[in-house]
Amino acid sequence: MALKDYERDMEGCSRCSSCKWVPFNQIKSWRFAKNCPSICKYNFHAYSGSGRMIIGLSMLQGRSELNDEVTEIIFKCQMCGACDTACKVYRDDIDISEVLLELRAHCIEQGQLIVEHMAMIDALKREDNVLGEPKDKRGEWAEGLAVKDINTEQCDVIFHAGCRYSYDPDLRDTVRGQVQLLLKAGVDVGIAGKEESCCGGRAYELGYRGEAQNYAEDLLSRVKASGATTLVTPCADGYAHFRYLYPRMGVELPCEIMHVTQYMEKLLHEGKLRFKEEVPLLVTYHDPCHLGRMGEPFLTDWKEDKLQRPMSLKRSGRKGIFDAPRNIIRSIPGMELTEMERIREYSWCCGAGGGVLEAYPDFAAWTAQERIEEALATGAEALVTACPWCERVFNDAVAETGAAISVYDLNDLALKAAGLLEPVEA
Amino acid sequence: MLTKEAQKTVLSDEAYKDLEEAVGPENVSREPGVLDGYAWQPMINDDPAKWVRRPVAVVLPASTEEVQAVVKACNEHGLKFKAFATGWGIYGAPTYDNVVQIDLRRMNNIVEIDDKNMYAVVQPYVSGAQLQAEAMKVGLNTHIIGAGPVCSPLSSATSGWGVGWDGISMGYSPRNVLGLEWVLPDGEVLRLGALGSEKGWFSGDGPGPSLRGLVRGSSGALGGLGVFTRGALKLYNWPGPPQVKIEGTLLDAKAEVPEHIRFHLCFFPDKKKLADATYKIGEAELGYLACKVSVSSFIYTFAPHLLQKITRTKELRRVLNEALRWTYVIMLVGNSEEEIEYQEATLEKILADYDGMSMEQMTAPAIGPMVFMNFFRVTAIPMVFRMGGLFCSFLPRNETWDTQIDFYEMGERVKKPYIEKGKILDDLNDNPFMVMYEYNTYAHAEIIFQYLARSKEQLASVEPMQIEAMIESVEMCQDQLSDCDARQRKIFSPLAGHYNRWQKRISEMFDAKRAADTGMYCDEEDYDYSKVSPELKAKLDRLMAERSWTEDGPPA
Repeated sequence: MALKDYERDMEGCSRCSSCKWVPFNQIKSWRFAKNCPSICKYNFHAYSGSGRMIIGLSMLQGRSELNDEVTEIIFKCQMCGACDTACKVYRDDIDISEVLLELRAHCIEQGQLIVEHMAMIDALKREDNVLGEPKDKRGEWAEGLAVKDINTEQCDVIFHAGCRYSYDPDLRDTVRGQVQLLLKAGVDVGIAGKEESCCGGRAYELGYRGEAQNYAEDLLSRVKASGATTLVTPCADGYAHFRYLYPRMGVELPCEIMHVTQYMEKLLHEGKLRFKEEVPLLVTYHDPCHLGRMGEPFLTDWKEDKLQRPMSLKRSGRKGIFDAPRNIIRSIPGMELTEMERIREYSWCCGAGGGVLEAYPDFAAWTAQERIEEALATGAEALVTACPWCERVFNDAVAETGAAISVYDLNDLALKAAGLLEPVEA
Repeated sequence: MLTKEAQKTVLSDEAYKDLEEAVGPENVSREPGVLDGYAWQPMINDDPAKWVRRPVAVVLPASTEEVQAVVKACNEHGLKFKAFATGWGIYGAPTYDNVVQIDLRRMNNIVEIDDKNMYAVVQPYVSGAQLQAEAMKVGLNTHIIGAGPVCSPLSSATSGWGVGWDGISMGYSPRNVLGLEWVLPDGEVLRLGALGSEKGWFSGDGPGPSLRGLVRGSSGALGGLGVFTRGALKLYNWPGPPQVKIEGTLLDAKAEVPEHIRFHLCFFPDKKKLADATYKIGEAELGYLACKVSVSSFIYTFAPHLLQKITRTKELRRVLNEALRWTYVIMLVGNSEEEIEYQEATLEKILADYDGMSMEQMTAPAIGPMVFMNFFRVTAIPMVFRMGGLFCSFLPRNETWDTQIDFYEMGERVKKPYIEKGKILDDLNDNPFMVMYEYNTYAHAEIIFQYLARSKEQLASVEPMQIEAMIESVEMCQDQLSDCDARQRKIFSPLAGHYNRWQKRISEMFDAKRAADTGMYCDEEDYDYSKVSPELKAKLDRLMAERSWTEDGPPA
């Protein structure tokens, strides 16, 4: 695909600005009515979903050029999909997220590169992870666990830890605990250990499509060899990429793909997992973009007139994973859930995605802080999420500002409720 | 290879520096890609290219003082300026080559909600949805215009039209102004209404200067008279809960419909009975929201593919066109069970007197929870693009309900051959949007037509169809949207007391250096009549000769 292939999407924009707002039926206050971190931070229309489409159209029609300033505008975006979801509440014929991906690929093709992203891609090529950590240390988090090695053994469930869970020392107990929990439930689970690679999704989002394709094909061969029927990942980014980007690239993994919260919910339902410990906490749940609206499965690459596309085949964001994490929270004794105003497919982004954390950390922190304030407005004691990237930026934002709220990975709370970790202090 | 547009002279460094000083360097841009974000305006734009003039710079002021500084810089450097709030539609766009676009996005605060005196003080970038959400918390509601809750209540109140489904109970946007802060085209600030005497915001007409008529005229100066930075807007009673419980976003939405609310879809056998019944509804002071929309507009909004099938089904089309033509929707809101019972009984009596019937929708489990917010907050409006990607309207001035119904019929006559030739989309040729104000003391009509946003042939039909409707409007003594279009203004002004002469004098009085972009306020241009038939042009010439005002007054 090329930018030209999305000209009809771009010229379909009526400039109504719905892409900047929470779907209007769900606006509950002045304070939390907006959905797009980029336009909220930088304000020029060019920083909205609509504005970026107009920039694309302008370049295609020779009215303006791709330069450093325009490149910055294109990349100062978390690719969170809020604009796309909001637009599609009303429209069937525009795929903003696809245009945003194409604009980034166009930048790379034209040699308009972001230095920090180049460094990330170099690290990825060198070490097979986006954090630039040594490849041979990727499996250290699992040392001592009685888990299968899918490089040499067959298993029923592949556990794909993802880059951040594999390397972030603050998240190590979480990811170990998840595997322990699966093992305790009797799941036949295996990992790739140091042979596990990045899913490649972040590279795709940054416009480096060749790299993403390589990683997709690598995982495909690994899954086939393992004989697994299910791939479970705690990484929300990875989940979205396996479910959406891989099929979009023509790579269908021959197994069911589940986020760890879905799998945990399944185990609860089957009675293989029980929460016995009280976790007395008033929490609010943050929907990670890639688990929620961007976690919707790839439906079709509709080639005809999109005005004629059935609503069931448009990427509405509504088919993402929203209920499993909430059901887990509700299953934990003593835990109470209070919702923020922007939830589910119209959730506010944490700020970390789309290469923003690496290239524009101030923007990522600002976006996270906005979410912290929304969480504080609920009166919750804790902000809970199910994505390591969200958890990272929220923790950093709380540390920076001293906000009176704790940040938890939902998996940690589940582990505590299952008696695998220490009790939570409210 | 860059186009001519891309190669245009850019803003001088000196002027740019002054703009940077006015708003801060991060809040001004002259990057062509950024500027084109302000040059793409497909709505109500009859140019098939959909681009409008690109501004020379865009600024993002955060305060009245910063707006003043920008306006003064424009005056000093011989630039024009044009402000907009939420920025949807051609109205906010520059009409000259040297215009600084003032994007008021950073002026986004609800300054105050005074629940006792029932008003809110807002800045320009507060949306209708935001103001409604906050007003509901104190038992109040705001007028939301037909373009939907994304729009700025302050902008519609001060600068352009202000039509909404709730007009029957909450009026027309400019009627709700209780005081304004106005940056004049020379950069000075004028405060109107009680605020002009530093007495707060409670009255639009003083103590202190009013000038409400001058600010608005009939339809607003559309950015041609300066920038309105704060305004007090009247709020109205909302007897429902502080927040409507709702799941889902739109078509999947399930709202918990508050108590004492009913929504009737009414049908009448003919035009006269509809008109007479709606006058009676007004006299009885019924209705929180009310409008005439067609069955086709419901279908193309919620199920456009279904409408395509219906248009190909002759008999079904005939049923919808003929049996369901004279429809009317009304939402009743009561403060108590007794009141809603009284309202329903009164409505039923009027329906019976005029051979009407109705279907109550709020209590219908499949529909009520979905449509409630659609009407209450006007949330489904962007869905009207689902049919073809764009729509436009013939819009006359506010007039009596009867006159607007005549206009509706005229509009359908103009549309018919275009639909038959495939030059616009088939909407069953029954697509009015009509609302009444203040219990039907006056009314608004739009005759909507839908077209394919990406079809050159259909885009090319918009302008000739608009000219044709305009000529037919002249015949009906109806003025069509003249305040937006410099070409229409030139035609209609002599027919209506040369009103534009007065607008020009007002503009000259406030704007000695001609800094405000007056292209949509009082400038005039010639139409290109090559796009209409010689017969139609001859008809217009005859009407103009017969009906134009002379220097001595109205025509004989």
